[in-house]
Amino acid sequence: MAQIQERGSTHVYKVNKISKEEMDSMVARCVYEQPPFCNAACPLKLDTRAFLKAAADGDFKKALGLYEKIAPFPLVLAAGCEAPCEGKCRLGEIGDAVAIRAVEAAVARYGEAARGGSVFRMKKRKTVAILGSGLFPLLLAGELEKKAYPLTVFCEQADLDSFLRCAAGFLDEDAFALERKRLRGKDIQFEFSCSIDRAFLDEKRASFDVLCISETVRSRLFPDSPVIPELMLCEKEQFICGGEEGVMNTAFGAKKAALTVDRLAQKLDPRNTRGQEGACESELYTDLSEAKELRRAAIPDGGYTPAQAAEEAKRCIQCRCEECMKSCAYLQHYKKYPGLLSREIYNNTQIIMGDHQLNKPMNACSLCGQCSVVCPRGFDMAQVCHIARRNMVSTDKMPLAPHEFALMDMLFSNNEAFLARPQPGYETCRYVFFPGCQASAIAPDTVRAAYEDLCARLDGGVALLLGCCGAICDWAGRYELEDQTREFIDRELARLGDPIVIAGCPTCKKELSTHDGLEIKGIWDVLLELGLPEGARGLARPAALHDSCGARGDEETQKAIRTLAAQLGCTLIDTPYSGDRSPCCGYGGLAAYANREVAAEMTEKCLERSDAPYISYCMACRDRFARQGRESRHLLELCYGTDAGAPPDISEKRRNRLTLKNELLHELWHEETAEMKLDFELNYTVDARRMMDDRMILTDDVIAVLQDFRASGEAVLDAEDGLLVARRRVGNATFWVKFSREGEDSFTVHRAWSHRMRVEKREG
Amino acid sequence: MAGEKNYYTVDPMGKLRCFKCGVPLEKGKAKFMYLDNGFPVELPVCPVCGFVYVPEELALGKVASVERALEDK
Repeated sequence: MAQIQERGSTHVYKVNKISKEEMDSMVARCVYEQPPFCNAACPLKLDTRAFLKAAADGDFKKALGLYEKIAPFPLVLAAGCEAPCEGKCRLGEIGDAVAIRAVEAAVARYGEAARGGSVFRMKKRKTVAILGSGLFPLLLAGELEKKAYPLTVFCEQADLDSFLRCAAGFLDEDAFALERKRLRGKDIQFEFSCSIDRAFLDEKRASFDVLCISETVRSRLFPDSPVIPELMLCEKEQFICGGEEGVMNTAFGAKKAALTVDRLAQKLDPRNTRGQEGACESELYTDLSEAKELRRAAIPDGGYTPAQAAEEAKRCIQCRCEECMKSCAYLQHYKKYPGLLSREIYNNTQIIMGDHQLNKPMNACSLCGQCSVVCPRGFDMAQVCHIARRNMVSTDKMPLAPHEFALMDMLFSNNEAFLARPQPGYETCRYVFFPGCQASAIAPDTVRAAYEDLCARLDGGVALLLGCCGAICDWAGRYELEDQTREFIDRELARLGDPIVIAGCPTCKKELSTHDGLEIKGIWDVLLELGLPEGARGLARPAALHDSCGARGDEETQKAIRTLAAQLGCTLIDTPYSGDRSPCCGYGGLAAYANREVAAEMTEKCLERSDAPYISYCMACRDRFARQGRESRHLLELCYGTDAGAPPDISEKRRNRLTLKNELLHELWHEETAEMKLDFELNYTVDARRMMDDRMILTDDVIAVLQDFRASGEAVLDAEDGLLVARRRVGNATFWVKFSREGEDSFTVHRAWSHRMRVEKREG
Repeated sequence: MAGEKNYYTVDPMGKLRCFKCGVPLEKGKAKFMYLDNGFPVELPVCPVCGFVYVPEELALGKVASVERALEDK
C-alpha cells in the first residue's frame, strides 16, 4: 500500500502561498471590529454599546465610569450634548432610537463615582496654565487633570461657584451642586480675581510650559491671531485656545486641545500621530430582526429615574455583526470572529521556529463556505483556512497526523478499492457513474442499484468509476497529491472515452467540475430526466432536508433535489439555514479527522434545526447524522428502495468498498479477484471494536500485528489479565494489540492502541 | 533517578513477561523518536531479546501529548 512521507521538524522554508497584503485585504472584509453607529457618530467616542449594556444591567457605577472617560463633568455634557448618536441609532429606522442622552443624564445623576484613582497618580513634570473662564476652560481643565498635568486655572471670577456658573449656567441646582463637588475633588489649582492682561499673560507664559486661554481672552488680547481648529492652537503665539460652540463641540475642542497640550509638552509637532479624531462612518452590519421593544418611554421633566433609564437602555440591541458566528459551530467553538482568527492563522503560517498554536483551529474548519454566504460582506473563512493549509504544506510545516488517516483512505479508494470499467459490451461509454468514495463505503447496495438502473435506462453505455475525486487531498492542502489525483482521474476517464460524468455526490461534482473539458451532471438531474425508478418511495413522516455544503451556490442541484424529493412523495420541513446557508455535517474539510470535538459540534448544529428525520444527498452527511442516532436517509436510498442501515465503522467502510468492487467485477465483468483469506480465526470483543473505531485503528492494522506475532512469537504476557500484547510498525504508526488465544489459530482482540513515535532499545 | 525524566513507573510488581523469552520485563533504557527528535526514557524491556513495551496508558497519555507538541513545532 502507498505511504505518505512524514515530515521532519527541521524545516526547509519553501514557497509561501499568501502574502501579508493578500491576507490584509481578506481580513478587512470582516466588519466585526467596526464601531456601532452610535459610537461612530460621537466625536467624543463614547463606548455607547458598553455604556448602555452597563446601564441596562443596572450597573450605573460602571456606566458612569465609561461616561467619565469622555466627560470629566458628566452632568455638564449630558445636559447640553446634541446627541448625534441618537440620529444614527439603527433602531430609529424601524422605531424610536434609544434615548441615549436621557440615559446618560440619569447615569450622570444617579451613578456612583468611582473613588480613589488620583491619590497615587504620578504627576507629569510639564506644567499647564489656563487663563479665562467659560465652558472650554472648564472642560479642558477636566481633560488635563485626567492626564495628570500640574494645572493652574487663572480666572477673573472671585470664587469657584462663579467660575462654574460662568461655564455651565444651564445646570439645574442639583446638577450644579454635584458638579461643584466633583470639581472640588479634582486636583486643579485655582487663582481667582485675576486681571488678565498682556503682562499677566506673558508672565504666565514664562513660568508655565504650556499656556491655554479662553476665546474671550484671545479676542481681547490677540484679535488678529487665528486659531487652527483641528489643533485648537494659535501657532503664532503658541497658545491653546477654544471657544464655546455648543456643549458637545466644546467638549470635542477640549479633547483636541488636551492632545495638542501633550504634543507641545513633548516638544513634538502637534499635527503628528493624532489618530482618528471626531465622528466617523461605520460599515458595521446590524441584524434589526432582533429588535424587540421599538418604542421609547416618554422622558419626564426631571429626566429618567434609574429604573426607567435601565429599561430604556435595555432597548439597545447591542449592534454587533455576528452573522457568521450565529450559524457556524467552528467559530462558536473558538469564540473568535473571522477577522481576528484569520490574522492569527496567517501569523501561524509565518512561524519558522516555535509552536504553531493555530494548527488545530486551522485544520478544524470544515471549509464549507457557509460564512461566505451568511456574512453581509462575503467573508470566506474557508478560503483563509484552505490557503493556510496549502501554505503550511508548501513550507513543509504541516503535520501529517491530523490528515493521514483520511489521506490513506483516499489512497485506498484509488488503489485497492479503485475500479474503472466500461459497461459490459462497450469499449467506451457515453456516461460514467461516479458515486463517490463515501457512497461505496456507506451504502454499497445503493451504489449497485443506481449503477444497474443507469445501465438499463441510458443509451450509449454507462461506465463505472469507483474512487475518490480528490476532495480529500484538496481539503488537506496537499496540492501535489491533488494534482496527481486529477491526472489519474483524467487518465482513467480518457480510457473510458471521456464520458459525461454522472456524479452521485455534490462534493465530487464540485471537485470534478474543476477539471478541464469535463461534462458533469448529478445523478439527481439524470433521475429527473429519466423519471424515478420502480420502487422509489419517500419517507412516510415529514423530514428535514439537509443541503450538502458541496452544493452551496449550485442552485440547480438544490432545486433538482427538492423536485426529486417532491416526486418521491416526501413532505419536507422548512429549516433555518437551508439551501446556500446550510451548515456542514462535520465531515467537510476533514474536520472530523483533525478535530473530532468541533466536528461533533457541527453535526449537533445541523441536527438542532429540526427533530424530524433528515434527508440528505451527501453520503457523509447521512452517515454523521445516523451516528448521532438520528433517522437519516440519503435521497438515493429512497430512490432505489435500499436501506444502508446502521452506520459502518472505519474498517467496515473499507471492506464495503472492496467488497462492492470485487462483487461487481465478478458479476458484471466476470473477473475474479484473489481474495485475501486469513489463515487464522479472528474475533473482537465489542469493546475492542468500539475502541478501534474511536482510535482510528483498522482491522487490517490488527491483522498485520497478529501476522507478525504468528511469525515471530514476540509479545508481552500481562499476568494481571493473562492477555498477550503484540505490536507492529505499519506506515507512520506503531500498533499494539492485546489479545487472547483460543488455540494456535484463533485469537480474540480485547484492546488496541497506537502511537506515532518510534521506540527502540537504547544501549549504554 | 535524579535528572532523568520519568513518564512511567516501570512494572513494579513484575507482572509483565516476555512471551518469547519467558523472562520478566525489566526497567530498561529505551528511546522514543519522532520528527527528528529523540527522547531517552525508561520502559519495560526484555533483558534477553530487547522487546520494548509501550503500555496503553503511556501511549495515549504522555506519548500522545508529546507527539502533538512536536507536530505543532
